[in-house]
Amino acid sequence: MAVGLDLLPRYLDPLPGGKGVVSAVDVIVNWARAHSLWPLVYGTSCCAIEMMATGAARHDIARFGAEVFRASPRQADLIILAGTLTEKMADHLVTLYQQMPDPKWVIAMGACTISGGPFYYDSYSVVRGADRVVPVDVYLPGCPPRPEALLHALTELQQVIKGETIRNRRASKELTTAPPVDRMAVDLAAWEEEQDEHIAEVEANKAAWKEANPDFQAYKHPKLDKPKLEAVERVKTPRRGALPSALWAAVAERFDGLSLATCDEVTEDALAAMDADSEAILDLVIDPERYAALVGFLRGNEATGCDMLHQLTAFDDGEQISVLVHLLSVSQGHKVFVRCALEREAPTLPSLSGLFPAATWHERETAEMFGVVFAGHPDPRRLFVAEGLKGYPLRKDWSDPSRVVAREL
Amino acid sequence: MEREQHIEVRPPSAGGNTEEYWLNMGPQHPATHGVLHLIVRLDGETVREVKPELGYIHRSVEKMAENLTLLQNIHLTDRLDYLSCHMNNHAVCMVAEQACDIGVPERAEYIRVIVSELQRIQSHLLWWGAFAMDIGALSAFLYGFAEREKITDIFERLCGARLTMNYFRPGGVAQDLYDGFEQDARQACSDILYALDEYQRLVTGNLIFQERTRGVGILSRDKAIGYGCSGGTARASGLDYDVRRDDPYGIYDRFSFDVPVATAGDCYARYEVRMEEMRQSVQIIEQALKDLPVGPIQAKAKPVLKIPKGLQVFRQVETARGSFAMTAIGDGTATPLRVSYRSPGFMHVAALHEMSAGFKIADLITILGSLDPVIPDIDR
Repeated sequence: MAVGLDLLPRYLDPLPGGKGVVSAVDVIVNWARAHSLWPLVYGTSCCAIEMMATGAARHDIARFGAEVFRASPRQADLIILAGTLTEKMADHLVTLYQQMPDPKWVIAMGACTISGGPFYYDSYSVVRGADRVVPVDVYLPGCPPRPEALLHALTELQQVIKGETIRNRRASKELTTAPPVDRMAVDLAAWEEEQDEHIAEVEANKAAWKEANPDFQAYKHPKLDKPKLEAVERVKTPRRGALPSALWAAVAERFDGLSLATCDEVTEDALAAMDADSEAILDLVIDPERYAALVGFLRGNEATGCDMLHQLTAFDDGEQISVLVHLLSVSQGHKVFVRCALEREAPTLPSLSGLFPAATWHERETAEMFGVVFAGHPDPRRLFVAEGLKGYPLRKDWSDPSRVVAREL
Repeated sequence: MEREQHIEVRPPSAGGNTEEYWLNMGPQHPATHGVLHLIVRLDGETVREVKPELGYIHRSVEKMAENLTLLQNIHLTDRLDYLSCHMNNHAVCMVAEQACDIGVPERAEYIRVIVSELQRIQSHLLWWGAFAMDIGALSAFLYGFAEREKITDIFERLCGARLTMNYFRPGGVAQDLYDGFEQDARQACSDILYALDEYQRLVTGNLIFQERTRGVGILSRDKAIGYGCSGGTARASGLDYDVRRDDPYGIYDRFSFDVPVATAGDCYARYEVRMEEMRQSVQIIEQALKDLPVGPIQAKAKPVLKIPKGLQVFRQVETARGSFAMTAIGDGTATPLRVSYRSPGFMHVAALHEMSAGFKIADLITILGSLDPVIPDIDR
């Protein structure tokens, strides 16, 4: 139908009165298109909930003729970009957009799809603005926007559609090929220089004016009284499960030369202090050779009985990579932490996936974020980040200026 | 028992000559609750293997947190699990409170409990609607959202936001309750109880619903522990663990409430557990409203919240999905050395293969819906 309509102006416009006919066709076609938009079911994060709320009973997007949410892009003509767009998702968004038949429109919903929003700084995976990937017709600010705001964006889009004409139907909008890097960062240095000059000029003017008017006193705003806050004593939550000293006794019997991360030397006083503090958790430090043996012991031993791997992660203190294991005893309720420091070059540890199936994914994450190699891992693939990302992002010495806009502290 | 049958019995047409094939579900798919990508190995309609592919909404929150103070971190945790943002905020605030030794006034503690439990109900209502919609009952979605909007209204009046609240602060909460909050909360509670009875008549007893959820997606207790499952998913498998009761935080040890546990471990058990959890949340809210004291809502906190060098602070909370934990390691400055979040849904999706192998592909949708995943929480 669209192709037929395109030909209409070519034949009708030269005829007397033909232009009026084309305009009348415009009005009818645009009216029909604007009031029966079929959105695609596309939502990546928080905004999707507000999009669902807009579709639900109270806000009822059907009042504006856009309630036919389609699961297939081939049946949709509107894509509401609800939620953050990441690099890994960007390729898929392009595919979705290209699969939609013309004419098609895009609403960028929320701060993330406009500019990256809260994830503008320091994020290595977020595309700072969906308009770097697909052309956007209506920008809808908010984090997340209210359902009423989405309805407003929809009516704005209807106005955009009603302004279109079949005479020069928008050429199928070109997809941008620019890589998802920050446009701001390129001009930032020049902009800062300009700002510095401007500030210097203003300061000079101020100083000159002060010299000319020495008696001037600036107006002071009245201020609201700040409520006086009082410090409250902290109430610690009671402890569940075995005492740290009992756990330590069970572990130290089997493993020599263990130490605790919380104190320099494990003495009876230190253990008694840990027992007295209901929030203290046994934080064992172990060497890489006996790491798997210790975790296996903590799991199998009756006194410790840590049957659940709560989390496995790592941290980088600038010198070493330390792997952290959080174990939980579901039956008794206590927690035991294990940490194991590794060298930065080729850190290797045995995999815990045989002991705990939960470790499989945690180890995949730790491997891609810190470069720790888990020997014997059944599925050593990447978990989160896109293929193109080089290095290990959560290491302190990692940087990638093409992706990251660093926040200045 | 039922599950073994599914695995043993091959389709009659198979004859050992069928070819297995891979199917990509997502990342853009209406039933994957966002942008989860499931790579499924199928034999006819029977699922042989499920490989979830993550990272489509990985926003590097943990990296960003290394350049933010704890206070600046609160709003980012809103956007992890946006259906339990009060609880996520609670975890961040408790980390700051433990690291800097800040107390919380009584009234603030009660407010925290009340809004957290209201949000648990709100989240479960959304899950109920979406789960029923996954199975094909579209009207349940409208019912669930209609009830959910009432609680959203309360939150909007309370802190100005409908979804990302950013309401808790180290040492208290951002604002005091508005006039009439208690009345609104009581009204919401009685509305929920009435609505839950209605939902029982609408969905729970439905024959199609029962057929599609009973005996589907069984997760044994051992597997639930092994995969680190928590929350309703684990409790439906007979794992009697609730952070509110077994690792109490805030003032949860003052309230009497039941932790619903089922042993079947199938989708219907998970459904039953979550429906009962809503009733228990109402009970907690009613107790808290009865005892709500008058007084300050914010204690004096340090202007700069520093975690001492080398200290590892770990706090876990029970969100609507399970155990959410935040670990912060300090380096003595205002920004932590490392922040890591332990999200409950991450482990549930890891266990998806265990639950769905041997079932039909339509059951995979049911199983995924019954886990109540929030993908930004999984990907972080």
